[in-house]
Amino acid sequence: MKTDHIRNFSIIAHIDHGKSTLADRLLEITGTVSSRDMTEQIMDQMELERERGITIKGKAVKMSYNKQGSRFQLNLIDTPGHVDFGYEVSRALAACEGAILVVDATQGIQAQTLANVYLAMEHDMTIIPVVNKIDLQVAQPARVSLELQQAFGFTDEEIIFVSAKDGSGIEDLLAAIIERIPPPKTEYNELRALVFDSNYDPYKGVVAYVRLFDGHIEKGSQMLMMATGSKADILEVGNFLPRPTQTSVLAAGEVGYIATGLKNVRECRVGDTLTLTNNPSTKPLPGYQPLKPMVFAGLYPSDGDEYLVLRTALEKLQLNDAALVYEPETSAALGFGFRCGFLGLLHMEIVQERLEREYGLNLLITAPSVRYSVTKTDGEEIEVDSPAKLPPTHLITEMKEPILSLNIVVPAKFIGAVMDIVTAKRGEFVRMEYLQNNTLDESVPDSSESRVLLEYRAPLSEILMDFYDQLKSRTHGYASMDYSIFGYKAAPLVKLDILVNNQPVDALSLIVHKEKSLQQGKTLVERLKNLIPRQMFEVPVQAAIGNRVISRETIRALRKNVLAKCYGGDITRKRKLLEKQAEGKKRMKRVGNVEIPQEAFLAILQLDR
Amino acid sequence: MMINPEIQDDSLSIYIHIPFCQTKCPYCDFNTYSGIESLIPDYVKAINSEIHYWGDSLNDLSVRTIFFGGGTPSYLPEGHLESILNQVYKFFQIESAPEITIECNPNDIDTDKLTYLRKTGINRLSFGVQSLDDNLLTILGRRHSSEDALTAFAKAREAGFNNISLDFMYGLPRQTLTQWEDTLNQAIEINPDHLSLYCLTLEPGTPMKKSIDSANIPSPDQDLAADMYTTANKILENTVYDQYEISNWSKPGLNSLHNLTYWRNKQYIGMGPGGHSYVHKTRFNNINSPRQYIKRLNHIDPNKNYNKRLPSQTINTMPTVENIEYIESKLEMSETIMLGLRLSEGISEESFNHRFGLSIHEVFKESIAEAIDLGLMINENGTLKLTDKGNLFSNEVFLKFF
Repeated sequence: MKTDHIRNFSIIAHIDHGKSTLADRLLEITGTVSSRDMTEQIMDQMELERERGITIKGKAVKMSYNKQGSRFQLNLIDTPGHVDFGYEVSRALAACEGAILVVDATQGIQAQTLANVYLAMEHDMTIIPVVNKIDLQVAQPARVSLELQQAFGFTDEEIIFVSAKDGSGIEDLLAAIIERIPPPKTEYNELRALVFDSNYDPYKGVVAYVRLFDGHIEKGSQMLMMATGSKADILEVGNFLPRPTQTSVLAAGEVGYIATGLKNVRECRVGDTLTLTNNPSTKPLPGYQPLKPMVFAGLYPSDGDEYLVLRTALEKLQLNDAALVYEPETSAALGFGFRCGFLGLLHMEIVQERLEREYGLNLLITAPSVRYSVTKTDGEEIEVDSPAKLPPTHLITEMKEPILSLNIVVPAKFIGAVMDIVTAKRGEFVRMEYLQNNTLDESVPDSSESRVLLEYRAPLSEILMDFYDQLKSRTHGYASMDYSIFGYKAAPLVKLDILVNNQPVDALSLIVHKEKSLQQGKTLVERLKNLIPRQMFEVPVQAAIGNRVISRETIRALRKNVLAKCYGGDITRKRKLLEKQAEGKKRMKRVGNVEIPQEAFLAILQLDR
Repeated sequence: MMINPEIQDDSLSIYIHIPFCQTKCPYCDFNTYSGIESLIPDYVKAINSEIHYWGDSLNDLSVRTIFFGGGTPSYLPEGHLESILNQVYKFFQIESAPEITIECNPNDIDTDKLTYLRKTGINRLSFGVQSLDDNLLTILGRRHSSEDALTAFAKAREAGFNNISLDFMYGLPRQTLTQWEDTLNQAIEINPDHLSLYCLTLEPGTPMKKSIDSANIPSPDQDLAADMYTTANKILENTVYDQYEISNWSKPGLNSLHNLTYWRNKQYIGMGPGGHSYVHKTRFNNINSPRQYIKRLNHIDPNKNYNKRLPSQTINTMPTVENIEYIESKLEMSETIMLGLRLSEGISEESFNHRFGLSIHEVFKESIAEAIDLGLMINENGTLKLTDKGNLFSNEVFLKFF
């Protein structure tokens, strides 16, 4: 197919604005998937994705569409919707010429809408603005359209109104895709294919998801990865229809997959350019920034015997999740485990869930930490992603913490509430911008209904914990947020240790701001008192900074632990009760002679509530 | 299924479940019902069929104890108990002077009834007194008053019963330590032969649990319950009563032989709906529903002999049986320990070795060391016993053996 009949595009949207439903409708109307085979949100294949209703990994699908007698190839590269996965959006966009911007007609522009639009503009893409969910009673398409015009300078005629649910407006959208998005351009004869995602298949090895910019590729060719120098004989090339379907050749402009037979995803890095050994290109495509994990936590098997199972599981998971990093770690309290780096809390949760679900592991996860930059007295600068790795105070000259640039979109009447939360989280106000000029909009009678963009700088460690939940609850769910790393900033930080029965529990240590340490120590100790079950002896729980105990609670000794009488010889019931109790004990960790349940290790997550 | 005759002795205990109560107590989650009295005649017929069946097929075992539990066995109209006991005697081998117990509700009993019970051969009574405080009896939903209980006991003595047990409960909502001490002291004063003291367990789904969950009555304080247990130990220490099990005390020689069968992990057959059995290394139970139970026992032919069968077939073909579980040796060891450690006689190296051909100290080396380390168990010349603290934390010990 000639490249002028190819259109490559992504759909970008704030979470829940209907991206996946729109993708489904496009697949259906182009006949890629018959409505009979249509399971809802077919692009979200992972079980976990379906359950959570979010897209975790981007996918690509090839559609055919006839327009005025010509057949067009439309390649949709799906993007994830959650802020944790923002980097994936960027990857997907690099492989496209255009983006469909979906905005919910009941909600208007949200924080991620802004972030995504700026991202698309950076990539110099054609953006097609779409107002979705116009079938809903509470939809305000006119108002949202106005918002789009004012925020991004779209014209009224550009905006397309659709209901992905009932299919209205989809044909208009398809027409716009063909008319407005430019066809791919090729510059060279040598193969240049951008790897925008990959996954691991036990039979085909690493399968690279590629966008071909130049040249063509077929089964049996010998490929070369330009950055890593890895070579491989190509086992198969194909398209996603949406199931992977083998084809004879992939040509410039197209999107598809290449089965490399490589055993390690690191040999075929996302962002690298794939070319041919016998006729290589010398000009790699602009790649991606390597992924930087922002959140770190220890993952430990509840049952120490499962350490090797966990290691194997992490290895396998990493094959499909290049953002996941891990290294072995030992905790006095929890035994052998791994320090893992994640993109954000959701990513962390998803990894934990996948490990538990797909590998049958029972995991314990420690309080997440950010990566601090520490200057030691000898002038050395080190990175610290775990309280356990923090040098003693007297060896530290300065500590810096990662700072976020935080964008929050919220109805104006909640500005005060947002200010409160952000201030409590040590955030600094940067600027405020009204998304809508009320004087122009007579349909909005109450100015407090207009929405503002608030920009802050705030420490990542503070935003990490429960900021988003607080924000949602204080703004009745109206606020949306997006963030990106801004930089590092010095702060007076201290290590807060927790002692249970006079033994420090390394897995409960935290790095906190000095001014907040007292309150956090107190809260944590109180919470632990309620979470650690009473033992056969009295257990003191203390919070300490260095040698100074700043808070103490005592868990009273348990007086008895007996089973009810066995009645009428029902021994089995009694035994089952014991077995259940034994199972519960298995999920606890012994620190010294105290049994600590998993929930205790998560207590820190809700420290500010 | 292989049966090793060396490890199973040939005695048997019989439990007969009477699932009828005039009213159901709010804390009770046993398989018992009020308002189905019309089923009683059919029920007695059914249980007699079951006795026939097991009597035929377990005729290699001899019966040492018979226990009528419930429900409220004393609630059965006269004549029925006799008919059931006659059937047992007809179909089972009975040892000489078996222990035959019936659970009684104090206000089902009068002199005539007691005389009748004596006549049937019943030689042990177990009264569900629960408390001698009338307010607490009301909370427990009992039909009797403390006075009813004392009167019933006196009449039982007059009728010639010389082995009478009283059941009491502690850890009750609103119960004070003083109330508990008073109840115990009054109980000792009337001189029963046996005492069972049980902590109230709030079972899910019971009206009492619901009342407590909805804060209509206060939740019992478990620390106070522990104090009550310790206090009971102290009060009974200087009396004629010996503690022979975590929750049971008796005059010398008047232990409950029937319950010892459970605690020593020996064989018993539980008849009636919801009855639990352990014979030929197999645990199983009858279905709970009295109606279904009656219906299914229609299949037992009164003229047939059921004795020429393998034990496994006997169990599998019994239409009322469900949840059949063969107890393999390792599990039997764990169960033997869980049950045996409840007894003050403990578990001797010798008896364990005799039963399993293995040393308990080898099989459970670590578990034993841990329990002893925690001060919950002692090794007294090769016999493992719970300490006083171990009695309060028996679960912590048992858990180590599974």
